[in-house]
Amino acid sequence: MDISVTLFGGLRHFLPAGSSFNKCNISAADGASLEALLQQIPIPANKPYIVILNDEKVSRENYAEITIQEKDEVVLLPPIKGG
Amino acid sequence: MAWQQQILRVNLSNGSCAIEPLNMEWAEAFLGSRGLGSKYLFEEMDPAADALSAENKIIFATGPLTGTMASTGGRYTVITKGALTGAIACSNSGGKFGGELKMAGYDLLIIEGESEKPVYLHIEDEKVEICDASEIWGKTVWETEELLAKKYQDPLMRFAGIGQAGETLCRYACVVNDKHRAAGRSGVGAVMGSKKIKTIAVRGTKGVRNKDPKAFYKIVNEVNARMTDRDEMSRDGTLAMMDVTNGFGSLPTRNNRSVRFEGANKLNPEAMHTPNENGHTNIVTNGACFGCTIGCGRICKIDPTHFSVKDRPEYHGASGGLEYETAYALGSACGVDDIDAATFAGFICNEYGMDPISLGGSIAAAMELFDIGAIDESTTGGIKLEFGSAEALCQIAELAGKGEGFGVDIAMGSKRLCEKYGHPDLSMTVKGQEFAAYDGRSMQGMGLAYATSNRGACHLRADPYGHDFETTEIEGKAEVVRDSQRDVAFLDSSGLCLFPGGCGWGLEDYRSLVDAACESDWSSDERMRETGERIWVLEKLFNLRAGLGKKDDTLPKRILEEPADVGTGKGLVCRLDEMLPEYYELCGWDAEGVPTSETLQRLGLD
Ligand code: SF4
Repeated sequence: MDISVTLFGGLRHFLPAGSSFNKCNISAADGASLEALLQQIPIPANKPYIVILNDEKVSRENYAEITIQEKDEVVLLPPIKGG
Repeated sequence: MAWQQQILRVNLSNGSCAIEPLNMEWAEAFLGSRGLGSKYLFEEMDPAADALSAENKIIFATGPLTGTMASTGGRYTVITKGALTGAIACSNSGGKFGGELKMAGYDLLIIEGESEKPVYLHIEDEKVEICDASEIWGKTVWETEELLAKKYQDPLMRFAGIGQAGETLCRYACVVNDKHRAAGRSGVGAVMGSKKIKTIAVRGTKGVRNKDPKAFYKIVNEVNARMTDRDEMSRDGTLAMMDVTNGFGSLPTRNNRSVRFEGANKLNPEAMHTPNENGHTNIVTNGACFGCTIGCGRICKIDPTHFSVKDRPEYHGASGGLEYETAYALGSACGVDDIDAATFAGFICNEYGMDPISLGGSIAAAMELFDIGAIDESTTGGIKLEFGSAEALCQIAELAGKGEGFGVDIAMGSKRLCEKYGHPDLSMTVKGQEFAAYDGRSMQGMGLAYATSNRGACHLRADPYGHDFETTEIEGKAEVVRDSQRDVAFLDSSGLCLFPGGCGWGLEDYRSLVDAACESDWSSDERMRETGERIWVLEKLFNLRAGLGKKDDTLPKRILEEPADVGTGKGLVCRLDEMLPEYYELCGWDAEGVPTSETLQRLGLD
């Protein structure tokens, strides 16, 4: 299945080649975890980000436990401040 | 020595101008800019005096690092009793004015009394004169700057002044310098207007010394090398935040009825960079303040075919564009997704001298009053003040700037406006100051930061961002807010900008710059924290003497009782009542939010 992932701010530079402006579809096997999905996006380890899954923030410690479902929407936000 | 060790005191009542030595004991205790200016204000005026009376003073304060080679070292602060809030106001600005004032030889400019006739101040190093302003009174900020620039024929002269909004005592009139940089918040421009001082023209030719130039420049280079994400900041500016808060669900929308705006993608960095159907691109380039190596400023153009500027070529040029806060206040807060209309309203703010956050917040409140039928077209002078109306936004912005028609009500600020029309709960303010672009339900720490901010609702008095984006649980929020209020007070007092903190600098980078530039030993974290806390508590003491107390450390009913509709904080209200007692205790204040005698003693404020 293909999962829609949106990367905001500077994170979009790490989208896989061929993606649209800040969105991409990432294929995930049935039963794949959120962690496995995120590993397919080449964001360097020193770039922190927040994961929003279907409108809810997911804590880092839960990435491995969450199973991705068809039609899930994943949004990655850079934790910037100020402004 | 990074301080010039001089202050300039101007008394508008008797026309005197005097150069005085800086109180170095106070400089050692309060550092500079925000802290030092607040100390002078606290010692010299009765906080209970009316903000718009001759008893109020207005102080333009530079920091020890203002005018140095440190990146972003161009900041200055305007400190006074706020016309919008009745609390201490300290409004920070960049641009080039602050550096010029410092180069003229002054750490602080203190303006006191009030003039009978409109005047402006002309400063060229030690030469200081109070000049007749009859030819520029009634002019916009931009016209004033152009007329005086022509008169003095000095391209390096800098200006900080008011437009018609300040003259007509709009409660959130600001002080604009360099045409589109502003000491924006709390109505500092109305205080200038009440004193009938139109602008300050300054030219300085002195340098700024520091303790050990060689060591200082070495550290400047080292910390510059540690800056990261500069490209992002110069490309997108603070507007990058819009996608983050919208995605997270903390972007205040339609007077905080919602926390997500369906039109955010028409106001975000991509909208700014993408040509519209006419081939017009909003952004022209980025801009930087004095000595800044980031350059987060937006220089933008309005589509010349847009209804707001059609047949008005004076608005076809490039000028200061939408930052995140402006895009929220003149965009999502009003439900407006028209980037040209929001840019136009922003231009009007710079031209007439208004704080765009408070203007947008006031218009948003008026739109809700219109929506529920508390006001109608007979009140607004025929304007259909509906949420989402770009036309209404542009019309009302101009009326508020000029102090005409329904703009007079909008210029009161949302608190006075909502009280006037019988719905005080619809004002999204703290201490009378409109919210910045974060909702305190999904960002609980920000809710606490707004409620306890000494200058009224503000996103720049604390730094709860990281913790808030991590969790909506309230554990730890009080500590994060308390610690960061203290740290930000120190940074603001240095003369540097807060934004390098979002581009890789840590507190130790700021501290090492201060230590290399200033006499005495500033190398310890302890001194940095204690200085920041001393400044924060001094501001609190000013407010207590002004009559503000625990009752003012609160949030609007909507944020405390109406759950957020979508996003990460869906179903949550701000749990302020649980966080506030812990916050007071951590601060060393009693249950009423009054610093205890031990706290005052520890900080040397007894
Ligand atoms: S980061 Fe932005 S606001 Fe701060 S000094 Fe630089 S240009 Fe000015």
